[in-house]
Parts: sequence; C-alpha cells; structure tokens
Amino acid sequence: MISITVNGRVCACEEGEYLLDVAERNGMLIPHLCYHRGLLPIGACRVCIVEVIERGRSKVVASCVYPVRDGIEVHTASPRIREQRSVIIALLLSLAPGSTEIKRLALQLGADIPRLVKAPESDTCVLCGRCTAACEALGTGAIAKVGRGVTKKIAAPFDGMPPDCIGCGSCAHVCPTGTIAYEHTDESVSVWGREFELMRCTGCNAPLMTREQHDFLTRKGGESPELLCERCGKQGVARKLKTRERYLG
Amino acid sequence: MMSDNATSRTLLVCCGTGCLANKAAAVADALDAACPEASVKRTGCNGFCENGPIVKVQPDDISYYRVKPEHAEKIAASLGHGPVMSLLFRDADKKLVLRQADNPFYAPQHKVALRNIGTIDPLAIDDYLDAGGYRALERALAMEPDEIIAEVTASGLRGRGGAGFPTGVKWASARAEEVFPKYVCCNGDEGDPGAFMDRSILEGDPHSVIEGLAITALAIGAEQGFLYIRDEYGLACANVAAALGAAEARGYIGTNIRGSGRRLRLEIVRGGGAFVCGESTALMASIEGRLGEPRAKYVRSVQRGLWDKPTVLNNVETLANIPVIIAQGGVRFAEIGTEGSKGTKVFSLVGKVERTGLVEVPMGVTLRHLIFDIGGGIRRGRRFKAVQTGGPSGGCIPEGLLDLPVDFDTLTEKGAMMGSGGMIVMDEHDCMVEVARYYVKFLSDESCGKCTPCREGLRQMLAILTDLCEGRGQQGDIELLERLGATMKESSLCALGQSAPNPVLSTIAHFRDEYAAHIEEGRCPAGVCPALTTFVIDSEACTSCGACKKACPVDVISGDKDTPYEIARDGCIACGSCRESCRFDAVSAHQRKEALA
Repeated sequence: MISITVNGRVCACEEGEYLLDVAERNGMLIPHLCYHRGLLPIGACRVCIVEVIERGRSKVVASCVYPVRDGIEVHTASPRIREQRSVIIALLLSLAPGSTEIKRLALQLGADIPRLVKAPESDTCVLCGRCTAACEALGTGAIAKVGRGVTKKIAAPFDGMPPDCIGCGSCAHVCPTGTIAYEHTDESVSVWGREFELMRCTGCNAPLMTREQHDFLTRKGGESPELLCERCGKQGVARKLKTRERYLG
Repeated sequence: MMSDNATSRTLLVCCGTGCLANKAAAVADALDAACPEASVKRTGCNGFCENGPIVKVQPDDISYYRVKPEHAEKIAASLGHGPVMSLLFRDADKKLVLRQADNPFYAPQHKVALRNIGTIDPLAIDDYLDAGGYRALERALAMEPDEIIAEVTASGLRGRGGAGFPTGVKWASARAEEVFPKYVCCNGDEGDPGAFMDRSILEGDPHSVIEGLAITALAIGAEQGFLYIRDEYGLACANVAAALGAAEARGYIGTNIRGSGRRLRLEIVRGGGAFVCGESTALMASIEGRLGEPRAKYVRSVQRGLWDKPTVLNNVETLANIPVIIAQGGVRFAEIGTEGSKGTKVFSLVGKVERTGLVEVPMGVTLRHLIFDIGGGIRRGRRFKAVQTGGPSGGCIPEGLLDLPVDFDTLTEKGAMMGSGGMIVMDEHDCMVEVARYYVKFLSDESCGKCTPCREGLRQMLAILTDLCEGRGQQGDIELLERLGATMKESSLCALGQSAPNPVLSTIAHFRDEYAAHIEEGRCPAGVCPALTTFVIDSEACTSCGACKKACPVDVISGDKDTPYEIARDGCIACGSCRESCRFDAVSAHQRKEALA
C-alpha cells in the first residue's frame, strides 16, 4: 500500500493502479471520454489530464493510463490543467458540434473558441476509440480506426457494411456521444447498416441474440451455447438443483 | 602499358540512391568495360549527392564528380597519367581540387558513423572485415555484459534518433530487467523531409549496424532482434538483407556466434510508410502487427516493449557508432564532442546552400560553420534567413543564433532541436508562415490521429495558417496559435504531438513580424504566398535573356530582345518561378492588391 495526495487529500492506493481510478474512488471526479471501466485504458481523448508533481518536477499526464507511484502530488484542476482541458474540449467541440455530451462539457468548463473551424453541425464522433476497443476486446474486430492524421475515422472495411459484425451492439453501448446508431426491435437489430435477425429463447420465446452472435459464440466456445435467456437459464439451473436435491433426499 | 597502370588501381563508384538516380550503375558498368584490369567497386553514398555520380581513383586519391558513362574511356586512359581535369571539383575560387580531403565540403568533416561509407562495397563482407569490421563484436564476446555497458556509458553516447537519451543508461535498464525473452531493435524508419542520414548508413555500411545491434543484444541478453526499415528505402532493405545473410554465413549472427554458444536471430521488418512509426511505441506496435499508434510511455520500452518484454530500440546512427566505441574504448570516443554531447553527428544539409549533402562533424560545431564553411553559404549570394533543424518536429533558427554550438541541449533551449540531423537552410525568399504551414500540413497527414490535442490541434493550426497565407488572417490568430501550441506541447500522447507545434511556435518566436504582416497588411514580406503576392519585371535591370519566360509554367510572360519583358496579370499564378530564374534580380515581388485569378 502506498499513498498519494490528490488535490491536497491523502489517498491510499496500490502501486501501479491508474490515477483516475484512485481519484474517483476517493470521490474526486475527473472528466473523461475514452476511459471506460470495462475496457483497457486507451489514453486518446486527453480530457482526463491532471498535473503530477514528482520529486519536485511537474508534468501533465493522462490520469486514465498513469500508474501511481508513492508520494506523488496530483492536481486535477490546477489553472494549467483547466486551461489545457478547456482547449481540448474546445477542439472536440469543433470536431463534434452535434454531441450533447461535448456541449455539456464545454459549457461546464467554459470551453469554446469561436475562431476554430467547425465540422458540420450534425457530427458527433470524437474519435475516442472506445467502439473499436470494445469490438477488438470481444474478438470480432469488425470495425477499426482507418487512416491516420486528420483523416482518421472509424469505419468498416472499405467503408462498406462490416462483414464480421455480429450485431452485438457493444460499440454503440460504449460510445460516449451516442454516435453509433443501434436499432432494436423484437425481431431484429440493425447496426452499421446491417440488419440482424434475432434468435429467441427456447424457454420463453423472448428475443435473445443475433444468429451471428450465436455462431460466433459457437466458434469461440467450441460448442453451441444453449438458447436461453438469463431468466430461463437460471430457472433451468434451479430446476436441476431441485431434482438433484430430491434425488439426494 | 596502360594495363599496368590499371591493374594496380581501384575505382570507387558511388552507388548511393542519389548517384544511382544519376546513372551511377551505368557509370560503373562503363568503367568495368573500359578498364577491365582495374577493380571497380560499387560503394555507398559519399554524401555529396548534388555532384554525383562520384568516382574515386585509388591509390592516387583522385575524386571525380558528375561522372557520366561516356567519361569512362577518358578515365581509363588517364590511369597513371594524371587526372581528367574536366571532372575534378572546382572550389569557390575556381581552383581544381584533386583529393577528397581537400574538397571544402569534406575537409572539415570527421567521420565516425560514416567511416566506411564510400570506401567499401556494402555487399562484400570482406571489405567490412578488412576495414576492421566485426572485431568489436569479437571483443564484446569476450567481455561481460556489464563491461560492454560500462564502455558505452563511458563514451557518453546519446541516441541519435533525436531524443538524445543516454544509450548506456537505456542498455543498463534493459539488462536489469529479469524478464525473458528480451529484444533489440533498430529504428530505420527515418522519415523527416529532406533527411537521409540513416538511409545512407543502411545502404552503404549495413554491417556496422548489424554489428552494433549484435553487441547491444550481448549487452542486454537478447537473442532476437528486428531492423525496422521504412519500405521506401528499397536499396537499404536489399543491402541489409544481403548483409544479414553474409553475417550469418560467417557466424557473426545466428545460432552460435563465432563458436561462443551465444545466439542472435535478426530479421528485417519493412515499415508501411507511416512517419509516426518512427516513434518507439508505434514502431513496436507495427512490428507486432498492430495499428501503428503510440501508447502512453509511463512504463518505458526497456521494461515493457515488444510483446510487453524488455526491448532496447536504437537508431541506425547510434548503432553504427557502437563498434567504434567497443573497439577503441568509450573514453576515446568521448574525446570528441562537447561536455553533454559526445562524438559526432551526421547532418543532411539541404536547402538554399551552395553545397548540399550528408556531413558528419563533431558535436558542438556552430551552425555557422556547417552552413557557411561546409555548405559554402547561401546560393546566389542571397541573405540567410533561417535554418530548420530537427525535421518537422524541430524549429526554425534565425541568424542571431547561428553561433550556437550544435548539440542535444543547446538548440532545445532555443525552442528548436538538433533532432535526428535534418538541416534545411532557407533564404530571404522563404516565407516563414508558409514554412510553418508546410510542416503543419505534413504533420496533420502523418500524425497517427489517436489523441485529441495532436490531431485536432494540427487540424486547426493548418486551417489558421492557410487563412494567413491566403489573406484571411484575423486579429488574435498569432495568440490562438500559441495557445493551441502550448496545450499540444504538454498534453499530447507522444513525442510527435508534443513537438508538433514547434515549427509554428519557433517561427512565431523569431519571425513574429512576418506573421503580423500577413494578418494586418495582407502582405507576404518574402513574396511567397501567391494570394498576397504579384511579380513585376524591372525593365531597367532586365537583360532580355528570356530565362523567366522559359521558367513560367503558365506562359504569361511576353517579350523578346526588342520588346520589354512583361508579366500579364491575367493567368499569372504568382508561383515565383520567374523571380527564381532571374540572374539579374530584375523580377521583384510586390503586394497583391487584387484577388488572385
């Protein structure tokens, strides 16, 4: 166990924990976009920058990927950080003027630089990379960051519909700005321009997962998973246990 | 009689990329045919590319420049009878120069990293061995890893790729890691516009890099290594591949290095052409087959690099210095250079200087020495304006700072950097706002685009600088550029983003007036930005030579020896070709009042 100070408060933590986690656990919220608890840290949006003073030297770091070391002094909203964070938000606002989340952050931090060139009013993607990280983590890699520099974008191969997409919707789920359209009906889901038929629970007939998702799980797991919803699955286990009890009794 | 003279002679034909483009291969073939008794050797780059192809006659020590295949007979006939005068170099006083060592371009140079280039055939391992090659590796095999590292530390060698991190410290950290396997890596992804130091070494002396990498591996305990070479460097890839084969055949790398029981497998990885993949973590991601994006470096590569294992990544030029350090001892190497920057540095000196090319000088020489003594000063007697050092991430240094010693620390203090050694000289006909715009455009294409400050900062900087160059600048633009730059510098993810605003910030720092003229007066003082500039021919100064008319790409210049030359307003794109072509300074730039057609 080591200790660090965040905004003057002493916080106990483990060596190597990420700074953002430590700060949030101690009730100090640091604004962020690309960081997501369910994903490996990306460190791309730089909204979560903080000032770290270590051995008398001060530096700006991204708290979501910064492993803490004993005795460091952290300031999450020093004038230097407030200035740089507001420039970053202003830059994001010009990239994604249509995003309510970015507008909210901009308003909150007083970040707007009217001279910046604005993208079309409807644009909302901030290129944080959560969607591709989620897609990669799930093993499908159906979408990716394409190109580099200012032309970088999130896309499916050849700008078409992603052939490897299984319609799981993880990308849309983690997107901080709601950019990825994900429609869901009783029969089907549609995402990335593709429509996926839903398979149903063999217990209660509720819509369960896409056929592609089922195939993917079969491929990964080596055997076909039971088509049961969470509730029916639990009931099944409970029934089995009950029978077993009776048998034992 | 002629054959007696020929047999004893070696003709070294420079076959670097620059000379090859000027038919050096045909020159070598022609010499082969013309003097079958002499030994014709195809060498790497001599560095004085603009005067290539270069042919050196040994042992007479005669250097010929701009040699064409048709000169072969003349050279053959001259062997043993004195030089071919018409192919010798003429210095500024029109004096003929016989020996390379007396050539003003070469005389002040001190070659360490480039020691063999231009004298050995890169494809002949025996040439390298004859020059003392692989003796350092043999020596290292008999040393303890800590002794090797101690020599490198004593040498004071710092990474030549730009950051200047002490090589010995890097090796010691990697050695201290108790994780296996470990990897060694050579960074040959040189991508700065106008820089070709590493290419020249990889092409001209690949064994020196392989030997350096093998010694690195011994020092840190690695058994596998990679040479990451950018794909555009076709000749470098080919020569390194050939050298790897030869080195393995002789047992300098492979499963049992010179019978020591040590092993090292080296392979080439060809970069896909992304500038950002020269950044260490992006380079490693690329080797692993992932997207070439940098990661946060709070945990360093010597701890967790390739496949999360300890990895030492050194630049080509750094590695080329290693055999010298091990062979002669670190202390001797440290005798060259300055207090904080030891050894020599290779620069590619290009731009508006009389003599351009690759030069290697001791650390600590002044910019003035480089540009005016070696480079011969500014072309056509124009005024020096600035020198851009360190590639796109570097900065522009004005005349007032020309007496600064060139080393790792001094230029950084002035907002520029020595970087990997690119050096572009600019004169009074270069617009500093346009220069900044050029580099920002390059970086906005070549940034990986992962983090917000770098990608979006560059996007906005480019838009503002384009506005400035096209007469749409606004009050407050300079301050906004500075504000964006300050944030990019501190909050970007990797060194590319952190240094990306340097071209803008350094030109603002030293040439603020020029920015102000663009914004406040809509004037480009250098007469470069087409939207703000128009050109006029002064009939008094004009000699009716017609050079401008020939140079005009849109044919809007009229005139002949009876009618005065004139530039028609309609259709002129204000490219400035007329001004550049005029030898009599009769074409001048003026502020454009009307809109560009």
